Amino acid sequence: MTKYIGKSVKRVEDKRFLTGQGKYTDDIKMPGMVYAYILRSPYAHATINSIDVEAASKADGVVAIFTGNDIPESIAGVPCGWQVDFKNGDTMKEPPHPLLVRKKVRHVGDGVAIVIANSKAQAKDASELVDVDYDIHDAVTDPKAAAQDGAPLVHEGVPNNMAFDWELGNPKEEVAAALASATHVTELDFVNQRMVPNAMEPRSAIGHYDTAYDKYTLYTSTQNPHLTRLLMCAFVLGLPEHKVRVVGPDVGGGFGSKIFHYAEEALVIWCSKQILKPIKWTCDRSEAFLTDAHGRDHVTNAKMGFDADGKIVALQAHTYANMGAYLSTFAPAVPTYLHGTLLQGLYTTPKINVDVTATFTHTNAVDAYRGAGRPEATYLLERLIDLAALEMDVDPAELRLKNFIAPFDGVEQEGYVTQVALQYDSGNYAPVLNKALEMVGYEAFREEQKNLSNGKLLGIGFSTYIEACGIAPSAVVGSLGARAGLFESAQVRVQPTGKVSVYSGSHSHGQGHETTFAQIVADRMGIALEDVEIIHGDSDSVAFGMGTYGSRSLAVGGSAIVKSIDKVLEKGAKIAAHLLEASSDDLEYEGGKWTVKGTDKSVGFGDVSLTAYVPHNYPEGLEPGLDFSSFYDPTNFTYPFGAHIAIVEIDKETGYTKLKRFIAVDDVGNVINPMIVDGQIHGGLAQGIGQAMHEGAIYDDTGQLINGSYMDYCMPRADDFPSFEIDRTVTPCPHNPLGVKGAGEAGAIGSTPAVVNAVIDALWKGGHKVKDIKMPLTPERVWTAMQD
Amino acid sequence: MRVKGKHEFNIPKQRLWEYLMDVEVLAKITPGISKLESLGEDHFKTHSQIKLGPVKSTFTGEMQVTNKQEPSSFQINMEQLSKIGNAHVVVQMNLEDLEEGKSALEFDGKANLSGVIARTGQRVLSGVANAITKDVFKALEEHIEEDNTLA
Repeated sequence: MTKYIGKSVKRVEDKRFLTGQGKYTDDIKMPGMVYAYILRSPYAHATINSIDVEAASKADGVVAIFTGNDIPESIAGVPCGWQVDFKNGDTMKEPPHPLLVRKKVRHVGDGVAIVIANSKAQAKDASELVDVDYDIHDAVTDPKAAAQDGAPLVHEGVPNNMAFDWELGNPKEEVAAALASATHVTELDFVNQRMVPNAMEPRSAIGHYDTAYDKYTLYTSTQNPHLTRLLMCAFVLGLPEHKVRVVGPDVGGGFGSKIFHYAEEALVIWCSKQILKPIKWTCDRSEAFLTDAHGRDHVTNAKMGFDADGKIVALQAHTYANMGAYLSTFAPAVPTYLHGTLLQGLYTTPKINVDVTATFTHTNAVDAYRGAGRPEATYLLERLIDLAALEMDVDPAELRLKNFIAPFDGVEQEGYVTQVALQYDSGNYAPVLNKALEMVGYEAFREEQKNLSNGKLLGIGFSTYIEACGIAPSAVVGSLGARAGLFESAQVRVQPTGKVSVYSGSHSHGQGHETTFAQIVADRMGIALEDVEIIHGDSDSVAFGMGTYGSRSLAVGGSAIVKSIDKVLEKGAKIAAHLLEASSDDLEYEGGKWTVKGTDKSVGFGDVSLTAYVPHNYPEGLEPGLDFSSFYDPTNFTYPFGAHIAIVEIDKETGYTKLKRFIAVDDVGNVINPMIVDGQIHGGLAQGIGQAMHEGAIYDDTGQLINGSYMDYCMPRADDFPSFEIDRTVTPCPHNPLGVKGAGEAGAIGSTPAVVNAVIDALWKGGHKVKDIKMPLTPERVWTAMQD
Repeated sequence: MRVKGKHEFNIPKQRLWEYLMDVEVLAKITPGISKLESLGEDHFKTHSQIKLGPVKSTFTGEMQVTNKQEPSSFQINMEQLSKIGNAHVVVQMNLEDLEEGKSALEFDGKANLSGVIARTGQRVLSGVANAITKDVFKALEEHIEEDNTLA
């Protein structure tokens, strides 16, 4: 039955990617196309006194220049897609985010003018002639400092720069009482640093207004074309949606940063109507550093209490979350519903309270970045429990096993209800950790660690995580403040010859949907993989879509495809029954044909599809055609989990830390294509380990991003990693037809704390009882920690 | 970016002060400065070519000498603009007499950078700034020596 599902089918899209034939937004050329460059603020906080574009407009090749004042007041700014109100019921502060600034710039990179010319170089050259007179003001960049009295204000009417505050879980008094009764409390102040997403393809957008059809087309490097169209049409430009086509062609990675609707997308569309020419904007790497929505940036204090038996009795967490200067599309959801709700982790903690203060700062917007909130939650829990093990002198693996929630499959046993508003679907947590311990050779490692004599320190770090994926039930996210539904659509169109075109609302930008989805269709329909094509990313061909993020495409988009396949096969059975002169109840479908049970009478899929379109001999009352759409809205999130172990070796003289081994055992439910899942895990690990050891955006106190290039921002490279040792357990999701949970973010969620814990473990074993080292763990920081 | 340092000269602070207040001397000793035009008392327009780490550009801007306490201290305020970013610099200069007719110049200030120069190679910039400062003082020493020889 399963010829493809569960097999490492080679990715069908890779041929075009590897041979340079991928078609990205910047590859698209149109007759008469002109090019835009956006002049951006060099200051974090300044008032614009005047903008003089006269010299620039006379420069070679310049077609038009627009500033904030040229854009009519009727055009709104970029909207936020998620509303999280204050604890006291006050509405979230949502100051306008204009397409181009009119009066005040609020972060380095804020758009000031768009210069359009016959070439990108001419546009860029001309932009240097635009004379902007600024009055520079003090800036604030740290989310905690921003909330203090007297901090420079990012927006008028937002006291203490507070966008909102939010709390979840048990009452604080109950948590405090439980902590007071604990025999040991581990407390940690830490920073989850700011990350630059660094997708390989820089953002790009083409706006084209076609006068003949009175229709707009936006090509854009997006993770969700339909959502971009909805936000841009309904909330920014006030355009009729049916007159706007949004295409997200091949997209070279997003990691979250291409979910959001950006000002540049609406700008090229609006400008193309003004000048009646197609306009292309492609950002350079430097702009990507400044303006692709960043990730993480939490400043946290957390306390975890244990009883005499080592059982966790309570958790209290407070986080200042940096929103940047404006609220990006999903920004409010990240530190709240994607972070606070995950603080149960894999543990039976009976009392949990999480308190979040979200502040504006004079920095680029912060939003979802691979893992989005769950890496922050995992970092919080896993740093605390590993540190607690060191402080209490107990084994960190034992301590976890003791606190794990007992197994439940979500069918026989109910899903686990947490203290923080979720019900886990299915879980069996001890096996992932036990398997990882076996793979690492735990006892032998501890012996080796004790008997080290080479001037190095060895450390082992653990991380056992849970995440919420496949977001999610629309009604649930709606009640949590989402301004969009989070279902997915799929259309399965059987062509007369039995070939199948599948239109998916998910969007592939590295995930391999064209392969994984085709494997599902081919297996379920009993046809060859080559007979299936997955079409995605074009709002004119796909009915609707919520796009790809939050490890949701297979669980939600894949399930929508299954629904449509079921409808196709149900109708196909009626046609087959007619052709076989049998009752459809007596038919079984296997291997691409319907057979009358217990006989050799059968009719193939191709004959049925042809009959559907040439309905001469056809069931009475049945519509011709074989083409079904479905919308799938799941009943719950999915909850993958796993155990990661890092082994590090530290040079005592220099603090240089080498990651020697990394073991990851993940449970992502059923697996359709093991090779693709392995690849997703590998990529996630590289990003998670990158955060622990290499990466981090640094703003100085005037709000300048001082490591805004690859010379200064350290991206991990292949030789920074050992060969990853990965394995899986399988606990199927009980509530979607594929039993899948999602794998895109797991690697980035689990790995970061494992690495930091390993370094802390090495230092403790070497006699340095250090509680925390700020990420990234540079040799200098590790060396400094050893000097105390 | 903080700029901070100290340099000793073989002349008393009153004479050092006179050199430092001489526009022509300043223009001669500062690396990269191609032109220094007076805009009024202690207020100049500057044109310079500066190489900052990996990037090189022409800066134009203004420089002002303020808070003059002859011969002990003054402040330099500079705003330098270029295609690759701008620099706003405030430096406090303190002159102090030492033994044997020598003197010391101590400087401490802040350079706020923006644009490409702020986000590219800033971690190497304080090294560059120190090197530039050293060049200025070396040039000043040489100028003083030359001046004395001529006298």
